[in-house]
Amino acid sequence: MSEHDIDDDRWMDSSGITRRDFVRGLGAASIVGATGLSFADEEMDGLQAVDDPIGSYPYREWEDLYREEWDWDSVARSTHSVNCTGSCSWNVYVKDGQVWREEQAGDYPVIDEDLPDPNPRGCQKGACYTDYVNADQRVLHPLRRTGERGEGQWERISWDEALTEIADHVIDEVQAGRYDAISGFTPIPAMSPVSFASGSRLVNLLGGVSHSFYDWYSDLPPGQPITWGTQTDNAESADWHNADYIIAWGSNINVTRIPDAKYFLDAGYEGAKRVGIFTDYSQTAIHTDEWLAPEGGTDTALALGMAQTIVDEELYDESHLKEQTDMPLLVREDTGKFLRAGEVGLAADADDPDKVFVMVDEDGELRPAPGSLGERDGQHDPESSIELDFDPQLGVERSVETDDGEVAVRSVWENLREELSQYTPAFVHEETGVGENTYQRVAREFADADAAKIIHGKGVNDWYHNDLGNRAIQLLVTLTGNLGEPGTGLDHYVGQEKIWTFHGWKTLSFPTGSVRGVPTTLWTYFHAGILDNTDPDTAEKIRESIDEGWMPVYPEEREDGSWPDPSTMFVWRGNYFNQAKGNVAVEEQLWPKLDLVVDINFRMDSTAMYSDIVLPAASHYEKHDLNMTDMHTYVHPFTPAVEPLGEAKSDWEIFRLLAEKIQERAQERGVEPVEDRSFDREIDLTTIYDDYVRDWETGEEGALEDGREASEFVLEHSEESNPADSDEQITFADTVEQPQRLEAAGDHWTSDIEDGAPYVPWQDYVQDKQPWPTFTGRQQYYVDHDWFLELGEELPTHKEGPQDTGGDYPLSYNTPHSRWSIHSTWRENTKMLRLQRGEPTVFLNPEDAEERGIEDGDTVEVYNDMGSVEVQAKIYPSGDPGTVRHFFSWEKFQYPGRDNFNTLVPMYMKPTQLVQYPEDTGEHLYFFPNYWGPTGVNSDVNVDVRLTDGQSGSGDEQRESVGVRPAGGDDQ
Amino acid sequence: MSSNTQNDGEDEDTLINVADGVDHQVAMVMDLNKCIGCQTCTIACKSLWTEDGGSEYMYWNNVETKPGEGYPRGWEESGGGWQSGEHTDRQTGEIPDREDYGRAWEFNHEEIMYEGSDEPLRPRDGAEWGPNWDEDEGAGEYPNSYYFYLPRICNHCTHPSCVEACPRSALYKREEDGIVLVDQDRCRGYRYCVEGCPYKKVYYNTVSKKSEKCIFCYPRIEGEGPDGETFAPACAEECPPQLRLVGFLDDEDGPIYKLVEEYEVALPLHPEFQTQPNVYYIPPFAPPQHTDEGESVDVDRIPRQYLRELFGDRVDEALDTIERERQRARQGADSELMEILQDKNPAEQYRLEVFEDD
Repeated sequence: MSEHDIDDDRWMDSSGITRRDFVRGLGAASIVGATGLSFADEEMDGLQAVDDPIGSYPYREWEDLYREEWDWDSVARSTHSVNCTGSCSWNVYVKDGQVWREEQAGDYPVIDEDLPDPNPRGCQKGACYTDYVNADQRVLHPLRRTGERGEGQWERISWDEALTEIADHVIDEVQAGRYDAISGFTPIPAMSPVSFASGSRLVNLLGGVSHSFYDWYSDLPPGQPITWGTQTDNAESADWHNADYIIAWGSNINVTRIPDAKYFLDAGYEGAKRVGIFTDYSQTAIHTDEWLAPEGGTDTALALGMAQTIVDEELYDESHLKEQTDMPLLVREDTGKFLRAGEVGLAADADDPDKVFVMVDEDGELRPAPGSLGERDGQHDPESSIELDFDPQLGVERSVETDDGEVAVRSVWENLREELSQYTPAFVHEETGVGENTYQRVAREFADADAAKIIHGKGVNDWYHNDLGNRAIQLLVTLTGNLGEPGTGLDHYVGQEKIWTFHGWKTLSFPTGSVRGVPTTLWTYFHAGILDNTDPDTAEKIRESIDEGWMPVYPEEREDGSWPDPSTMFVWRGNYFNQAKGNVAVEEQLWPKLDLVVDINFRMDSTAMYSDIVLPAASHYEKHDLNMTDMHTYVHPFTPAVEPLGEAKSDWEIFRLLAEKIQERAQERGVEPVEDRSFDREIDLTTIYDDYVRDWETGEEGALEDGREASEFVLEHSEESNPADSDEQITFADTVEQPQRLEAAGDHWTSDIEDGAPYVPWQDYVQDKQPWPTFTGRQQYYVDHDWFLELGEELPTHKEGPQDTGGDYPLSYNTPHSRWSIHSTWRENTKMLRLQRGEPTVFLNPEDAEERGIEDGDTVEVYNDMGSVEVQAKIYPSGDPGTVRHFFSWEKFQYPGRDNFNTLVPMYMKPTQLVQYPEDTGEHLYFFPNYWGPTGVNSDVNVDVRLTDGQSGSGDEQRESVGVRPAGGDDQ
Repeated sequence: MSSNTQNDGEDEDTLINVADGVDHQVAMVMDLNKCIGCQTCTIACKSLWTEDGGSEYMYWNNVETKPGEGYPRGWEESGGGWQSGEHTDRQTGEIPDREDYGRAWEFNHEEIMYEGSDEPLRPRDGAEWGPNWDEDEGAGEYPNSYYFYLPRICNHCTHPSCVEACPRSALYKREEDGIVLVDQDRCRGYRYCVEGCPYKKVYYNTVSKKSEKCIFCYPRIEGEGPDGETFAPACAEECPPQLRLVGFLDDEDGPIYKLVEEYEVALPLHPEFQTQPNVYYIPPFAPPQHTDEGESVDVDRIPRQYLRELFGDRVDEALDTIERERQRARQGADSELMEILQDKNPAEQYRLEVFEDD
């Protein structure tokens, strides 16, 4: 872009003085003289004297130069639709009809003056989104591919041409009954619910498939649905400041939660102790009071070691365990299953005594556990209670008389004690490398603190056994009763998946209420050939899960037993193709199955590059929408600072126009409505536009023409912004005036929003004694699902992950989030790249580099059986030996050969995340997009590194089949 | 020529040191224990002042990893400043090479995305060094490595050697607030100021052929925008952890005065350059080291000698004071210092209008 680049000669010579002159001392003040006026220079002739430039400089009119730059014509409030959890409100300054710059609006209302000021929220990426508005990467016109996918060769087509081509294809698919071969992928509603809904609404009306994302990105912590029956529920970040003890566990908040970091940093001055648990001396570890450095993948052992200290030294909260957890429940020794009340003649008046659990009271009598699923009305039942009118025993080991005769039983607590007894200090140290005294002291300090909190993140969630890791770390807050009070809890922040204005968003996105949701990990890997490329046990479990109806795959199996391929994919607000783990198989197996890939984007990202049609979307400063996060309790808007550049249009307008075109073409073609094979509805393409713009809640026709109307719909139809029992209501105009703190928390939250206090979850259960939404109605650490018992995972336990993922290579491959991008957004941004090295880098420990003859700045290959990528080596002394860190999300086109960071990651997933529980009815664990489903993990992968011009051995011979690998891909 | 000699600050008990002829002195305190290296300050400054016209390579505000080469590379070894606290003789300095700053790389987005190139996205002319090249590297060996972030702007020094260096007297220190500026009319681009600044915070614009530098966002603090509202410098206002306090050094009721003069926990960077900076730093502390057995052990992770090299010998006492007050806070006692260091009171964070009625 710069036309001002100059060569070195001018750089040095413009005043005739070279650097060498200065080194020789010609520039020294002693030569120049005290006032400078004695300097012999013809340009000095006629120069007005300055008596003393310290304080009395007379020629200051020029200062207006910079004052004139500090000027603008208008300001609009907007934000960024990126899955960062930031949700930061910005002012966008417009000068001469162009966006000039942005600055944080800085006007979030204060919750409590004893907390750090909530303002400003933002980061360096948000501070230069302006660059994207007019960037070279910007998509300005509808484009149709002319070369191969990925080649970057396009022809410009008209909107009408583009929409007609897509509409005719979609009509063909629907009329042929292949509506479930049409996929819509868009992640994370909270960052822009209207844009999310734009395409989801059309896909829903078409009978197509909506993809999950939170599980696919391995952001979902499966341990939370398993233990707490909840997707995730976290305190807003302001609550960190209320903690006396904070453990940041694999959550690099100073990099990934930049707007929230202040609550962690300031807590250190408020008197809190901050502990960091990271494998590297991370950017968050540097600002802690103590850093623990477990070896990669051993967090579970460390957590269970800490739990053993707390149990062994009786530092636990006994009353919390009795009332709030499954610890007093009895388990049959013979089957490993919970003893059910029906087996011992208890709870005869319950709806289902076989789903009521059993405790032993202080007198040794068997008692039904209140709040069990069998005596309450479904998963969530606020009318039921877990409050106890007796004092159950924790440690029970005895026999009971059942219908099957005498059966030995033990309480979950006794089972847990036995499990934990393996985690001796010697074992934990051996396994994790953390000092025996250090981790035990931290466990004691954590248990002793008045309010202790764990901030939990992706560093511990990307592993194959993430469910076990989650459950082990959760156990620490449960044992110590650190739930439901200010400054407590386990706050898992990975992704902006959870939206406050839930009902409005849901009904806008899925107006028919009949939704084909799919677990994207399973959908992607299924169509990329995992069944033929994983171990036999996993393949069998996948088949069983699909056959049992526990997890869906679309297109669904037809009556004749055939499985059609997916045919059509719409991607918007995300970069599915670049971010897909199992990338080799996705490119080679899945992508060719798709007849039409349409990407809706403001920039040319990797998915757009590999699409057939790209439609130009409005940038974040050119549209109306809303923005929220679970890091805070405010809602604020996007408003257009300028008109969309080129032929760009907002997502809402694009999908509305597509709906209009489909309706027009369907009427012209005279198509008949299609009977949906699963839902009680007809798919009628001749009215799809009318259905798109109708307000289905009120029946008003033509009510949802634009993004602003859709934004109002979301606010109006949500408990959080328009509570049923109050006159308070947040309108879109209110949010433009100032970010608004939400009025209430709807049913998908576990506490209320209170004035003057940060949101803290779990109060419905801990304070109000509602049953936890689990099988047992309690925090459930014991899971008696057949598969869990078969795998020895009925309790949290430490297991080694798969050993051969990617092949037999000595280094661990780690793909953390970088401070320089939000996933792939800003990855290719010039301003950001200038503050890195301009190209992808890999962080190597100095010893690992030296062993391989690698120096900082060398070009190296990171490789395994999947393939190899060429990147620049960066020496990182704070990285643990044996780990290769390649920050994720570099775009495919930033690598020679178009492989990327995900090339090295094969398809693999864990069977325990494919279950339904209870097996027959599934109230506790059942597939629901982004709530429960297999996570797309990626941290168990082996690689090695070598200099690019090193020995041969790349390519085919590296691609021997070892362990889990995708089909095909021999030509990498 | 310029300086106040009676208030020269060698004596601990003297009043705060404002240059002779300057009414009030703007100052900034940056808390390095809150700097997360996010560079929002860098971008805030760049987007506002150095986007084009030969300034693309400049970062009036930069953040560098320490220990490290910094920006421009090796600036700490580049000379400049004064030979002594007498401020009579300048120390000879060097003008950094262009490559020491790093070039403002341009990229091949269009060719790849729209013209079918199969090359990877890369800086067009290669990249050998940049303003943040050694980010996160630091020093030491795992697990006892160490690094921290150092944000830097012009120090608007009380004894600015850049001003002294200019033979045209094109640099000056403003009477009302002590901000040091390069007169863009008078400057002829000799770059004696670049040479003379030991912090290398004056930059040469290759297009205008003049030197440029941080202006402490004077149009913002003067309230010169269309709304007439006063803003602190963009680097401070946009900082997510709000690690900067902005105000006047001689505002004895303000937090900066307390941190610098009373608690003495805010220290100038490289005081041995003798320019008397008006940007002060709360020095960094870090978690303790590990033994071979993975035990935490009470040994400083950041070598104290390294911090003394950066902040002078007073750093020991400053760190002791902070640790003592942190202990008080842990025990539930009130600590004014701990309250000042938290971002709880925006009105105190930026005290820019206290002398408006003067």
